[in-house]
Amino acid sequence: MQNRETIETIINNMVMAPEEGRYVYCIADSAQSVHLGKIGIDGNEVYTVPYNNICALVHKCNAEPYKSDDPEVVKAWVISHDRVIQTAWEKWGNVLPINFDTIIKEVSANSAEQNLVAWLAGEYEGLRNVLQRVKNKVEFGIQISWDPRGVAQQIMRTNKEIQKMESEIAGKSKGLAYMHRQKIEGLLKQQMETGADAYFRDFFGRIKQVVDEIKIEKTKKPENGLQMILNVACLVERDKSQDLGQALDSINNLENFSVRFIGPWPPYSFVSRG
Amino acid sequence: MEPIRNGHATLVDLLDRVLDKGIIIYADLIVSLAGIPLIGVNLRAAIAGMETMLKYGMMTEWDDRVRTWERQRIEARKLLIKHDTEIEEPIAGLLQGKDK
Repeated sequence: MQNRETIETIINNMVMAPEEGRYVYCIADSAQSVHLGKIGIDGNEVYTVPYNNICALVHKCNAEPYKSDDPEVVKAWVISHDRVIQTAWEKWGNVLPINFDTIIKEVSANSAEQNLVAWLAGEYEGLRNVLQRVKNKVEFGIQISWDPRGVAQQIMRTNKEIQKMESEIAGKSKGLAYMHRQKIEGLLKQQMETGADAYFRDFFGRIKQVVDEIKIEKTKKPENGLQMILNVACLVERDKSQDLGQALDSINNLENFSVRFIGPWPPYSFVSRG
Repeated sequence: MEPIRNGHATLVDLLDRVLDKGIIIYADLIVSLAGIPLIGVNLRAAIAGMETMLKYGMMTEWDDRVRTWERQRIEARKLLIKHDTEIEEPIAGLLQGKDK
Protein backbone atom coordinates (compact mmCIF):
# COMPACT_ATOMS: atom_id res chain seq x y z
CA MET A 1 0.00 0.00 0.00
CA GLN A 2 2.70 2.42 1.05
CA ASN A 3 4.75 1.43 -1.93
CA ARG A 4 1.87 2.26 -4.22
CA GLU A 5 1.51 5.71 -2.67
CA THR A 6 5.19 6.37 -3.12
CA ILE A 7 4.96 5.47 -6.78
CA GLU A 8 1.96 7.74 -7.18
CA THR A 9 3.80 10.59 -5.50
CA ILE A 10 6.73 10.14 -7.82
CA ILE A 11 4.51 10.02 -10.87
CA ASN A 12 2.56 13.05 -9.70
CA ASN A 13 5.74 15.01 -9.16
CA MET A 14 6.92 14.05 -12.61
CA VAL A 15 3.68 15.16 -14.17
CA MET A 16 3.06 18.20 -12.02
CA ALA A 17 6.55 19.60 -11.63
CA PRO A 18 6.82 22.50 -14.06
CA GLU A 19 9.55 22.18 -16.64
CA GLU A 20 12.32 24.70 -16.34
CA GLY A 21 12.80 27.40 -18.93
CA ARG A 22 14.94 30.42 -19.73
CA TYR A 23 13.28 33.71 -20.63
CA VAL A 24 15.55 35.36 -23.21
CA TYR A 25 15.75 39.18 -23.42
CA CYS A 26 18.45 39.81 -25.99
CA ILE A 27 21.76 38.76 -27.48
CA ALA A 28 24.75 40.94 -26.54
CA ASP A 29 28.15 41.40 -28.13
CA SER A 30 30.10 40.12 -25.13
CA ALA A 31 31.73 36.91 -23.92
CA GLN A 32 31.21 37.87 -20.27
CA SER A 33 29.50 35.53 -17.84
CA VAL A 34 27.94 37.91 -15.32
CA HIS A 35 24.92 38.50 -13.13
CA LEU A 36 23.20 41.84 -13.65
CA GLY A 37 20.97 41.75 -10.57
CA LYS A 38 17.24 41.45 -10.04
CA ILE A 39 16.33 43.72 -12.94
CA GLY A 40 14.19 41.24 -14.89
CA ILE A 41 10.47 40.64 -15.25
CA ASP A 42 8.85 40.32 -11.79
CA GLY A 43 12.23 41.10 -10.21
CA ASN A 44 13.95 38.00 -11.56
CA GLU A 45 17.74 37.78 -11.46
CA VAL A 46 19.16 38.40 -14.94
CA TYR A 47 22.42 36.82 -16.02
CA THR A 48 24.33 36.06 -19.22
CA VAL A 49 24.72 32.71 -20.94
CA PRO A 50 27.81 33.07 -23.13
CA TYR A 51 28.74 31.20 -26.29
CA ASN A 52 31.98 32.06 -28.06
CA ASN A 53 32.09 35.90 -28.03
CA ILE A 54 28.35 36.52 -27.74
CA CYS A 55 25.90 35.96 -24.91
CA ALA A 56 22.18 35.76 -24.21
CA LEU A 57 20.60 37.64 -21.30
CA VAL A 58 18.14 35.42 -19.46
CA HIS A 59 16.27 34.72 -16.27
CA LYS A 60 15.21 31.33 -14.88
CA CYS A 61 11.51 30.60 -15.16
CA ASN A 62 8.99 27.86 -15.71
CA ALA A 63 8.49 26.74 -19.29
CA GLU A 64 5.19 28.59 -19.53
CA PRO A 65 4.47 31.82 -21.36
CA TYR A 66 3.79 34.94 -19.31
CA LYS A 67 0.08 35.63 -19.63
CA SER A 68 -2.23 38.09 -17.97
CA ASP A 69 -5.57 39.72 -18.59
CA ASP A 70 -4.46 42.77 -16.66
CA PRO A 71 -2.95 45.33 -19.04
CA GLU A 72 -1.09 47.00 -16.17
CA VAL A 73 0.68 43.73 -15.41
CA VAL A 74 1.66 43.19 -19.04
CA LYS A 75 2.74 46.80 -19.31
CA ALA A 76 5.07 46.32 -16.34
CA TRP A 77 6.51 43.16 -17.96
CA VAL A 78 7.14 44.97 -21.21
CA ILE A 79 8.88 47.83 -19.42
CA SER A 80 11.07 45.33 -17.54
CA HIS A 81 11.86 43.53 -20.79
CA ASP A 82 13.04 46.81 -22.30
CA ARG A 83 14.95 47.82 -19.16
CA VAL A 84 17.07 44.66 -19.33
CA ILE A 85 17.82 45.31 -23.00
CA GLN A 86 18.67 48.97 -22.29
CA THR A 87 20.99 47.88 -19.47
CA ALA A 88 22.83 45.47 -21.76
CA TRP A 89 22.91 48.12 -24.49
CA GLU A 90 24.55 50.64 -22.16
CA LYS A 91 26.98 48.05 -20.84
CA TRP A 92 28.11 46.46 -24.10
CA GLY A 93 26.99 48.92 -26.79
CA ASN A 94 25.63 46.35 -29.18
CA VAL A 95 22.57 44.14 -28.62
CA LEU A 96 19.93 42.24 -30.60
CA PRO A 97 16.56 42.52 -28.84
CA ILE A 98 14.46 39.35 -28.73
CA ASN A 99 10.68 39.38 -29.02
CA PHE A 100 8.70 39.58 -25.78
CA ASP A 101 7.88 36.27 -24.04
CA THR A 102 10.47 34.11 -25.79
CA ILE A 103 11.15 31.17 -23.48
CA ILE A 104 13.50 28.31 -24.21
CA LYS A 105 12.44 25.01 -22.67
CA GLU A 106 14.06 21.70 -21.84
CA VAL A 107 13.62 19.06 -24.50
CA SER A 108 14.07 15.38 -23.61
CA ALA A 109 17.48 15.06 -21.98
CA ASN A 110 18.66 18.60 -22.67
CA SER A 111 18.18 21.37 -20.13
CA ALA A 112 16.81 24.74 -21.21
CA GLU A 113 20.25 26.26 -20.85
CA GLN A 114 21.86 23.54 -22.96
CA ASN A 115 19.24 24.17 -25.63
CA LEU A 116 19.94 27.89 -25.50
CA VAL A 117 23.68 27.35 -25.94
CA ALA A 118 22.99 24.93 -28.80
CA TRP A 119 20.74 27.53 -30.43
CA LEU A 120 23.42 30.23 -30.04
CA ALA A 121 25.98 27.86 -31.57
CA GLY A 122 23.71 26.92 -34.47
CA GLU A 123 22.80 30.51 -35.30
CA TYR A 124 26.15 32.03 -34.40
CA GLU A 125 27.12 33.20 -37.90
CA GLY A 126 23.74 34.79 -38.54
CA LEU A 127 23.69 36.54 -35.18
CA ARG A 128 27.24 37.84 -35.67
CA ASN A 129 26.26 39.25 -39.07
CA VAL A 130 23.31 41.12 -37.63
CA LEU A 131 25.43 42.41 -34.72
CA GLN A 132 27.92 43.70 -37.29
CA ARG A 133 25.14 45.38 -39.29
CA VAL A 134 23.68 47.27 -36.32
CA LYS A 135 27.00 48.07 -34.65
CA ASN A 136 27.25 51.70 -33.41
CA LYS A 137 23.74 52.33 -34.68
CA VAL A 138 20.58 53.41 -32.90
CA GLU A 139 16.92 53.27 -33.81
CA PHE A 140 14.61 56.26 -34.07
CA GLY A 141 10.91 56.46 -34.77
CA ILE A 142 9.56 59.22 -37.00
CA GLN A 143 5.88 60.02 -37.37
CA ILE A 144 4.71 62.80 -39.63
CA SER A 145 1.14 64.07 -39.41
CA TRP A 146 -0.78 66.78 -41.16
CA ASP A 147 -3.75 68.88 -40.20
CA PRO A 148 -6.37 67.78 -42.76
CA ARG A 149 -8.45 70.96 -42.24
CA GLY A 150 -5.50 73.23 -42.89
CA VAL A 151 -4.45 71.23 -45.93
CA ALA A 152 -8.00 71.24 -47.32
CA GLN A 153 -8.23 75.01 -46.91
CA GLN A 154 -4.93 75.42 -48.67
CA ILE A 155 -6.10 73.30 -51.60
CA MET A 156 -9.39 75.21 -51.78
CA ARG A 157 -7.40 78.44 -51.93
CA THR A 158 -4.85 77.38 -54.50
CA ASN A 159 -6.43 74.75 -56.76
CA LYS A 160 -7.52 76.41 -60.02
CA GLU A 161 -10.11 73.82 -60.95
CA ILE A 162 -11.79 73.98 -57.54
CA GLN A 163 -11.78 77.78 -57.62
CA LYS A 164 -13.38 77.79 -61.04
CA MET A 165 -16.09 75.39 -59.85
CA GLU A 166 -16.67 77.50 -56.75
CA SER A 167 -17.22 80.59 -58.85
CA GLU A 168 -19.76 78.72 -60.98
CA ILE A 169 -21.97 77.89 -57.98
CA ALA A 170 -23.41 81.39 -57.86
CA GLY A 171 -26.48 81.66 -60.05
CA LYS A 172 -27.22 77.93 -59.97
CA SER A 173 -30.46 76.53 -58.60
CA LYS A 174 -30.37 74.99 -55.10
CA GLY A 175 -30.33 71.42 -56.43
CA LEU A 176 -27.62 72.04 -59.00
CA ALA A 177 -25.53 73.96 -56.49
CA TYR A 178 -25.72 70.97 -54.15
CA MET A 179 -24.51 68.61 -56.86
CA HIS A 180 -21.79 71.04 -57.74
CA ARG A 181 -20.63 71.12 -54.14
CA GLN A 182 -20.57 67.32 -54.09
CA LYS A 183 -18.28 67.43 -57.12
CA ILE A 184 -15.97 69.93 -55.43
CA GLU A 185 -15.85 67.72 -52.35
CA GLY A 186 -14.92 64.72 -54.47
CA LEU A 187 -12.20 66.66 -56.19
CA LEU A 188 -10.86 67.92 -52.88
CA LYS A 189 -10.76 64.40 -51.47
CA GLN A 190 -8.90 63.20 -54.52
CA GLN A 191 -6.44 66.10 -54.29
CA MET A 192 -5.78 65.29 -50.66
CA GLU A 193 -5.12 61.63 -51.37
CA THR A 194 -2.73 62.50 -54.18
CA GLY A 195 -1.13 65.05 -51.87
CA ALA A 196 -0.66 62.55 -49.05
CA ASP A 197 1.11 60.16 -51.41
CA ALA A 198 3.30 62.91 -52.86
CA TYR A 199 4.27 64.19 -49.40
CA PHE A 200 4.92 60.65 -48.23
CA ARG A 201 7.34 60.15 -51.12
CA ASP A 202 9.02 63.50 -50.58
CA PHE A 203 9.50 63.03 -46.81
CA PHE A 204 10.52 59.39 -47.17
CA GLY A 205 13.19 60.44 -49.68
CA ARG A 206 14.52 63.21 -47.44
CA ILE A 207 14.75 60.92 -44.41
CA LYS A 208 16.28 58.06 -46.38
CA GLN A 209 19.19 60.27 -47.39
CA VAL A 210 20.35 60.76 -43.81
CA VAL A 211 19.81 57.27 -42.34
CA ASP A 212 21.38 53.85 -42.87
CA GLU A 213 18.18 51.83 -42.96
CA ILE A 214 14.52 52.73 -43.03
CA LYS A 215 11.40 50.67 -42.45
CA ILE A 216 7.79 51.63 -43.10
CA GLU A 217 5.41 51.08 -40.19
CA LYS A 218 1.63 51.17 -39.91
CA THR A 219 0.25 54.65 -39.57
CA LYS A 220 -1.74 55.28 -36.38
CA LYS A 221 -5.28 56.49 -36.13
CA PRO A 222 -5.84 60.27 -36.04
CA GLU A 223 -5.09 62.03 -32.77
CA ASN A 224 -5.99 65.60 -31.78
CA GLY A 225 -7.39 66.12 -35.26
CA LEU A 226 -4.05 65.30 -36.86
CA GLN A 227 -3.77 62.57 -39.45
CA MET A 228 -0.59 60.51 -39.68
CA ILE A 229 0.74 60.23 -43.21
CA LEU A 230 4.12 58.64 -42.51
CA ASN A 231 5.39 56.32 -39.80
CA VAL A 232 8.89 54.89 -40.15
CA ALA A 233 11.64 53.34 -38.06
CA CYS A 234 15.21 54.34 -38.93
CA LEU A 235 18.61 52.95 -38.11
CA VAL A 236 21.24 55.67 -37.81
CA GLU A 237 24.87 55.83 -36.76
CA ARG A 238 25.00 56.96 -33.17
CA ASP A 239 26.80 60.23 -33.90
CA LYS A 240 24.85 61.14 -37.04
CA SER A 241 21.45 61.69 -35.48
CA GLN A 242 21.89 65.48 -35.76
CA ASP A 243 21.66 65.31 -39.56
CA LEU A 244 18.37 63.52 -39.16
CA GLY A 245 17.16 66.14 -36.66
CA GLN A 246 17.94 68.88 -39.17
CA ALA A 247 16.15 67.11 -42.02
CA LEU A 248 13.12 66.75 -39.76
CA ASP A 249 13.25 70.43 -38.76
CA SER A 250 12.70 71.40 -42.39
CA ILE A 251 9.56 69.23 -42.48
CA ASN A 252 8.31 70.31 -39.06
CA ASN A 253 8.52 73.94 -40.19
CA LEU A 254 6.12 73.36 -43.09
CA GLU A 255 2.65 74.79 -42.60
CA ASN A 256 0.08 72.17 -41.46
CA PHE A 257 2.72 69.48 -40.78
CA SER A 258 4.11 68.21 -37.51
CA VAL A 259 6.87 65.71 -36.83
CA ARG A 260 7.25 63.36 -33.88
CA PHE A 261 10.88 62.30 -33.44
CA ILE A 262 11.39 59.54 -30.86
CA GLY A 263 14.28 57.44 -29.61
CA PRO A 264 17.08 56.48 -29.46
CA TRP A 265 16.34 52.82 -28.90
CA PRO A 266 18.28 49.59 -29.40
CA PRO A 267 17.67 48.29 -32.94
CA TYR A 268 14.32 46.62 -32.14
CA SER A 269 12.95 47.03 -35.68
CA PHE A 270 16.10 45.99 -37.51
CA VAL A 271 16.87 42.53 -36.28
CA SER A 272 14.12 40.56 -38.01
CA ARG A 273 12.35 40.54 -41.28
CA GLY A 274 8.75 41.56 -41.38
CA MET B 1 14.94 68.90 -33.62
CA GLU B 2 15.89 66.65 -30.73
CA PRO B 3 14.44 63.15 -30.29
CA ILE B 4 12.38 62.37 -27.19
CA ARG B 5 12.41 59.14 -25.19
CA ASN B 6 10.33 59.88 -22.18
CA GLY B 7 8.80 56.96 -20.28
CA HIS B 8 5.17 57.94 -20.55
CA ALA B 9 5.10 59.91 -23.80
CA THR B 10 6.74 57.09 -25.75
CA LEU B 11 5.25 54.10 -23.91
CA VAL B 12 3.01 53.05 -26.79
CA ASP B 13 5.98 53.23 -29.18
CA LEU B 14 7.93 51.03 -26.79
CA LEU B 15 5.07 48.52 -26.56
CA ASP B 16 4.92 48.34 -30.35
CA ARG B 17 8.57 47.48 -30.40
CA VAL B 18 8.78 45.02 -27.53
CA LEU B 19 5.62 43.12 -28.52
CA ASP B 20 6.00 43.13 -32.31
CA LYS B 21 9.70 43.47 -33.00
CA GLY B 22 12.92 41.83 -31.98
CA ILE B 23 14.20 38.46 -33.06
CA ILE B 24 11.48 35.84 -33.28
CA ILE B 25 12.83 32.36 -32.74
CA TYR B 26 11.11 29.58 -34.61
CA ALA B 27 12.18 26.28 -33.12
CA ASP B 28 10.69 23.43 -31.15
CA LEU B 29 12.75 24.43 -28.14
CA ILE B 30 10.57 27.51 -27.69
CA VAL B 31 7.58 27.47 -25.37
CA SER B 32 4.46 27.69 -27.50
CA LEU B 33 3.18 31.21 -27.66
CA ALA B 34 -0.32 30.52 -28.91
CA GLY B 35 -1.93 32.98 -26.50
CA ILE B 36 0.57 35.76 -26.88
CA PRO B 37 -0.74 37.91 -29.70
CA LEU B 38 -3.85 38.26 -27.56
CA ILE B 39 -1.78 39.89 -24.85
CA GLY B 40 -0.66 42.48 -27.32
CA VAL B 41 -4.20 43.14 -28.47
CA ASN B 42 -5.51 43.27 -24.88
CA LEU B 43 -2.88 45.73 -23.91
CA ARG B 44 -3.35 47.97 -26.89
CA ALA B 45 -7.09 47.90 -26.42
CA ALA B 46 -6.73 49.12 -22.86
CA ILE B 47 -4.40 51.87 -23.88
CA ALA B 48 -6.66 53.03 -26.64
CA GLY B 49 -9.59 52.94 -24.22
CA MET B 50 -11.43 50.19 -26.07
CA GLU B 51 -11.97 47.80 -23.19
CA THR B 52 -15.67 47.79 -23.90
CA MET B 53 -15.18 46.50 -27.42
CA LEU B 54 -12.96 43.78 -26.09
CA LYS B 55 -15.48 42.87 -23.42
CA TYR B 56 -18.13 42.27 -26.05
CA GLY B 57 -15.79 40.27 -28.23
CA MET B 58 -15.70 42.88 -30.95
CA MET B 59 -11.98 43.15 -30.83
CA THR B 60 -11.14 40.08 -32.88
CA GLU B 61 -13.07 41.23 -35.89
CA TRP B 62 -11.89 44.78 -35.49
CA ASP B 63 -8.31 43.66 -35.18
CA ASP B 64 -8.52 41.47 -38.30
CA ARG B 65 -10.06 44.29 -40.28
CA VAL B 66 -7.47 46.81 -39.15
CA ARG B 67 -4.65 44.44 -39.86
CA THR B 68 -5.93 43.64 -43.35
CA TRP B 69 -6.46 47.29 -44.14
CA GLU B 70 -3.02 48.22 -42.85
CA ARG B 71 -1.39 45.42 -44.77
CA GLN B 72 -2.96 46.62 -48.00
CA ARG B 73 -1.96 50.16 -47.20
CA ILE B 74 1.65 49.19 -46.50
CA GLU B 75 1.76 47.18 -49.73
CA ALA B 76 0.47 50.20 -51.62
CA ARG B 77 3.11 52.39 -50.00
CA LYS B 78 5.80 49.91 -50.92
CA LEU B 79 4.74 49.99 -54.55
CA LEU B 80 4.94 53.77 -54.49
CA ILE B 81 8.61 53.79 -53.68
CA LYS B 82 9.71 50.41 -54.96
CA HIS B 83 11.52 51.82 -57.95
CA ASP B 84 14.18 53.59 -55.94
CA THR B 85 14.61 51.69 -52.73
CA GLU B 86 14.88 48.34 -51.06
CA ILE B 87 12.55 48.38 -48.07
CA GLU B 88 13.57 45.24 -46.34
CA GLU B 89 16.85 43.55 -46.29
CA PRO B 90 16.56 39.82 -45.87
CA ILE B 91 18.98 38.56 -43.29
CA ALA B 92 19.79 35.09 -42.03
CA GLY B 93 16.99 32.60 -42.56
CA LEU B 94 16.54 32.03 -38.85
CA LEU B 95 15.35 35.54 -38.19
CA GLN B 96 11.89 35.57 -39.60
CA GLY B 97 9.04 37.99 -39.35
CA LYS B 98 5.91 37.03 -37.53
CA ASP B 99 3.44 38.04 -40.21
CA LYS B 100 5.03 36.63 -43.30
